[in-house]
Amino acid sequence: MTIPTGPQVGVTLYSFTNEWLTRQYDLPGLMHEVSARGLGPNIEIIGFQSFKEFPDVSDDFAARFKDLIAETGLNPVSCAINSDRFLRPGQQPIDDASLVEYHKRQLRSAKKMGFSLVRYQFALPVELLPQIAPYAEELDIRMGVEVHAPMWAGHPAVQAYGEMYDKLNTPYLGWIPDFGGTASRIPESMLDAARAAGAPEGLLDKLKEVWLEPGMSHEKAGRLREWALANGHAPAHIQAASLAFFILANNDPASWAALVDRTIHIHGKFYGVGEDLVEEAIDYAAILPLFRDGGFTGTIVSEWEGHAYLGTDGFEQVARHQAMCRKILAG
Amino acid sequence: MLPVERVIGEEGLSAAPQGLRLAMRLPWYRSLPFSTVAVASLAIDGEPVDLTDAVIEYDGSAWPLAANGEQVDSFWFVRDSAYLVLPGRSLPVGSAHEVALNVTVSPPYIPGMTRANPQTEMLTAR
Repeated sequence: MTIPTGPQVGVTLYSFTNEWLTRQYDLPGLMHEVSARGLGPNIEIIGFQSFKEFPDVSDDFAARFKDLIAETGLNPVSCAINSDRFLRPGQQPIDDASLVEYHKRQLRSAKKMGFSLVRYQFALPVELLPQIAPYAEELDIRMGVEVHAPMWAGHPAVQAYGEMYDKLNTPYLGWIPDFGGTASRIPESMLDAARAAGAPEGLLDKLKEVWLEPGMSHEKAGRLREWALANGHAPAHIQAASLAFFILANNDPASWAALVDRTIHIHGKFYGVGEDLVEEAIDYAAILPLFRDGGFTGTIVSEWEGHAYLGTDGFEQVARHQAMCRKILAG
Repeated sequence: MLPVERVIGEEGLSAAPQGLRLAMRLPWYRSLPFSTVAVASLAIDGEPVDLTDAVIEYDGSAWPLAANGEQVDSFWFVRDSAYLVLPGRSLPVGSAHEVALNVTVSPPYIPGMTRANPQTEMLTAR
């Protein structure tokens, strides 16, 4: 076995959400396709996207999954779990004990299927971490909280988690950066999709302007909405334009440097990589060297999210994204 | 319509002994507890349908739509169709109808967010 000397590339099956939802592939079919196209071996799977039995996977299913892993030669690195706290819309969140147990159920399932780490979410109140971390240690599975837009290294929630990480001081807890929090611009493919939905250029110009302003994403979305309604734009066009606020934020790419030490896995979020191997919104050339030079040896899973506004397939995009990452990492 | 926005299932509209049966898809990228999903409205041929007695059928189980909010530990697998059953209603097999369905989702890890997903299709009753 080779000892990794730098970041590895891989893929999350989330990139193939369109193919999955349209039932073009079942799970064995999709895993074989990923393997045949050479997009692995390291993969991430969202438990609640790909496993019907989640959050409580049976021994029988886990055994079949392990057989599938052996057949395809893939390596189950990360299982994304969810911090589903608001099970009754408009009512109080579930109690803390139930939320802790909900995480333990998912940790057990991920471990049983052979994953080496889980992605978890900031919806888990930080003060519950001392109840869950020892269980992860006992199971021997690492947990990485996903730093996803609108969050970034300087966000108060990230800082509160960092303080708890210092206190608990265990290698089983870490970060999973998602680069959508440090986009440099709104992807042109997303703007094109809004144009195709009928959004006029004036609305998109205002979107680009507001998106770059300081402030929280939901405030900026509110600001655009207010302006757009006052200027006679249709609600459907405003909705198409506002997607950018919810999945992308424009924090400084260099800010990731503060999280490199405890990064255990990376979501290589992207929207469109051209034939020139440049991603249209996220400046990978500025970001990846921070992790490579900081000693990160985990996996960057290619995470194509164009399916939020395009019906096309993700395979070609993932292949290009991986080629781009390899090129930058070798540079 | 994007795959992630689809709410009318591929299996369409069918007559069943228990009533009219409409296939529904979950308009999200992952499975969700049924309690976070609501059938906001259904209209057939432009007429709003009274959903008071409607039933949800999924994977061998059934419960009243009115009690759907209690299904906190019953997960709708994102690749599966669930069925909305309208007791006592039927449509002639082979007849075509405009079906307008709106399903809302409130993702349980994003407090305060509810997304509406309207879809209108011409379906032939089977």
